[in-house]
Amino acid sequence: MFERIMSSKGWWRLFQAYGLVFLIFLYLPLALIFVYSFNANPINMAVWTEFTFDWYKTIFFGAGTAGSFDAAFTESPDRIFEVVRNSAIVALSASTISTVIGTATAIAIRRYDFVGKKVYQALLVLPMIVPDIVLGIALLIFFVGAGFELSLLTVIIGHTTFLSSYVFVVVSARLAGMDMSLERASADLGAGPLTTFRRVTLPQIMPGVVGGFLLAFIISLDDVVITYFIAGVGSQTLPLFILAMMRRGLRPQINALAILLLSFTFTVAAIGLYLRSRKS
Amino acid sequence: MDGFLQIRSATKMYRTPEGGSIRALDDVTLHIRSNEFISLLGPSGCGKTTLLKCIAGFEDLDHGDITLTGQSLTRIPAHRRPFNTVFQNYALFPHLTVERNVAYGLDVAHVERKERTRRVGEALEQVGLAGFGARMPNQLSGGQQQRVAVARSLVLKPKVLLLDEPLSALDRKMRESMQIELKSLQHSVGITFIFVTHDQEEALSMSDRVAVLASGKVQQLASPKEIYDEPQNEFVANFVGTSNIFKGKVIAKEGRTLTLKTANGRELAVASDRFGVGDDACAVLRPEHLKLSGEARDRAIKGTVTQSVFVGSEMHLHVDVGLGRTAVVRHRHNKGSTEAAYGPGADVTLYYTPEAAHVIECKGA
Amino acid sequence: MAETGATASRNRRTLILLLAPLTILLGVFFLIPLGIMVVYSFLEPGLYGGVEWNWYPYNYGRLIGWPLNDYEVFDPIYLKIFLNSLQIALMTVAGTLLLSYPAAFWVASMKGPRKSLVLFLVALPFFANMLVRIYAWLLLLRPTGFLSTLLESTGLIIEPLDLLFTNFSVIVGMVYVLTPFMFLPIYANVEKLDYSLVRASRDLGATNVQTLWRIILPLTAPGIIGGSVIVFIPALGNFIVPSLLGGSKVQMTGNLIERSFLQSRDWPFGAALALLIMAFVVVLFSLQFSRQSKSEGQGTR
Repeated sequence: MFERIMSSKGWWRLFQAYGLVFLIFLYLPLALIFVYSFNANPINMAVWTEFTFDWYKTIFFGAGTAGSFDAAFTESPDRIFEVVRNSAIVALSASTISTVIGTATAIAIRRYDFVGKKVYQALLVLPMIVPDIVLGIALLIFFVGAGFELSLLTVIIGHTTFLSSYVFVVVSARLAGMDMSLERASADLGAGPLTTFRRVTLPQIMPGVVGGFLLAFIISLDDVVITYFIAGVGSQTLPLFILAMMRRGLRPQINALAILLLSFTFTVAAIGLYLRSRKS
Repeated sequence: MDGFLQIRSATKMYRTPEGGSIRALDDVTLHIRSNEFISLLGPSGCGKTTLLKCIAGFEDLDHGDITLTGQSLTRIPAHRRPFNTVFQNYALFPHLTVERNVAYGLDVAHVERKERTRRVGEALEQVGLAGFGARMPNQLSGGQQQRVAVARSLVLKPKVLLLDEPLSALDRKMRESMQIELKSLQHSVGITFIFVTHDQEEALSMSDRVAVLASGKVQQLASPKEIYDEPQNEFVANFVGTSNIFKGKVIAKEGRTLTLKTANGRELAVASDRFGVGDDACAVLRPEHLKLSGEARDRAIKGTVTQSVFVGSEMHLHVDVGLGRTAVVRHRHNKGSTEAAYGPGADVTLYYTPEAAHVIECKGA
Repeated sequence: MAETGATASRNRRTLILLLAPLTILLGVFFLIPLGIMVVYSFLEPGLYGGVEWNWYPYNYGRLIGWPLNDYEVFDPIYLKIFLNSLQIALMTVAGTLLLSYPAAFWVASMKGPRKSLVLFLVALPFFANMLVRIYAWLLLLRPTGFLSTLLESTGLIIEPLDLLFTNFSVIVGMVYVLTPFMFLPIYANVEKLDYSLVRASRDLGATNVQTLWRIILPLTAPGIIGGSVIVFIPALGNFIVPSLLGGSKVQMTGNLIERSFLQSRDWPFGAALALLIMAFVVVLFSLQFSRQSKSEGQGTR
């Protein structure tokens, strides 16, 4: 269809070439990290010396186990394990809670009309709109003022607050395509509200619920800014840990850690995107 | 009086987005008999679907009461009422097979497996879909989906089956065959069908009784024949079938024959027992009662054809009968006859018998 | 009118039950904190962090450079930083727009599995950790980094090239991080563009440029505006990108807020800065909201 509009062949080729440049722009920086993560040169990553898995090994087994790397170039596996565990706890609990809450809200909004619904819906998407840094410091002031000790709990609460909005939006999109007379049909055939939810509504919106959960999980796992303000001493998450590493200087181990993190989030995201494409 | 399903002074208001309110049901009283096929007929927005939803329990009445064999249903939620609904879009569960769809109501009632299988098989057989159990709803045609929806409701042996414009999504041929099928199904299962439709032909051809609704009120409740031949008011006369209505005053009475004089001075002879000299009345003449040739005792109106529409089995002639009136006439189409005679501009004489006219009270004649 | 029926009261119970969790959550951990932040911005900073409960509008005075006492002079340094943030945010919007607009047409022009694949490839970096994406540009732009080394080895430059810690490096990083936010709304709009209108325009004698200007741009304007708003806002408040790619040389309001909270411990001033950013957010979104509801209103008429 577009060929006819792009009347000249030269322009059409240029257009195609541009598309490739766009993809290269998106992926080249990430590819660079990937390549560097196998470069043995501990001083200057941009100068290739030889291929090595050692940076990956240091993440799991520490400095002594991989070649001659000095402990100064690496973080201890115990420390890395601790922050990964923190991240996992936060991401799993925050995304689970926000999936339940966000889905309940989306169903209520789809099913019922009430006074002030428009305003309420605007409030629901507000946490997605407010800049991270504002949300972060507002929560910091609140937690400190209310006497909360900054910990994993405050991070989980903070994440749940804005992740629920994301889940709400994703599940709402799915619900918008659902025929609500199915719920009435189920009630009509004798099913109570809970049975109707379990046997009709939930199977219908499942792709949305799973998609919302995965999105919330990734956002939580990747969040830097909000966590930066509301994480306590013992509750550093993986992104905060990487940020601290980067501020201390660029060490090759960061490459390996970054690639591992990327591989994980890309896998989760790919599953989510696949599920979304399958719905139609 | 049959006290099966009684709707008493049912009133339901809706808020409009602009802040006003609409009376969707306005003091509706309706007694529905057991084992009858009754249609709720009316234009969109007349309240027929609202009434159905209130019976099913999806909506509450603001005033009034619905009782089933004397027991009030007000406090009984939809899923505990012994009624089932066939939805306009069928509302088949897209993630379940035909068999699971039909079994759904039995499943949630924890009916034992053997009996469930038997009843589902029976129900599918009843609607002619035996062998389709393993299909998914989206693999079925519209008519088949329709049957699954009916089977899914009937398998629960409801006291009343509510059908919400179930045929509106089907094409004409399929609709006609489903009409016959539904009617015979109602006959064989022997329960009350309440059938909501805006299609008068559908209502007339299927029902034992028809309730015509408009602006939240029941306009007439009667057998199809009565509705057509003796419409109670102008709305019914106009909505069901086509009517030529002449408004006027009775100026003379001779036996059963009245002389009606319209505001324009036209005088018509009509037959009725109900009216006396000086009363306002409306004469309803159906197009098929106006003939292009007549016998000696018939009354005649002269006119000129303004438009003739060929619809296959007959011609619809719009005839200017003078004094600012146009009448619609149906004329049987015979192959080989000289239709050109009734083209626009042709002068015709319309004949009718006074007995064929139906006289009703006129509002604001 | 009061709805008194059983169905209505049951529905209301379910509604309250379903809405309660998020309402409470957002009330306690979103609206109240934002409210407290507003209050804080009018309080006096404590000597060692925290606040004194005194009316103190000078936080806002400082924003525009008002001297606090006789020893200070009028110095609009914070205003300058804010204006620089605005400039960077606007450049970021321009950059992401220029990159995404043609790309959206490129993806929309494809068909079948190829299209799904490319769409997948474009969407995927969206999920990559923001830090990792910024980190990649550190590797690219620093003096011993990829670009400099590459150019040196080809002999194009003699001295190492330091691209870091400039407005440019910050804008590049922001563009990279925020491009998906621009691409997706534009793509959504381009995808449903009715190409018969484009053909009609050509048929009526318009040139390609005229068609672009008079037909395609107006029809895709909602995507452009929507994308611009959701790129502009995070760009304006960003502090991670400038702190990593801008170092101490490029200051944005986000860095000021961060320092007020975590280093100088002047919370009220930080709150005032945050509210300045919020003001932009509120204005932009109410404009966007009213525009949207207006076009919706036209649609239904």
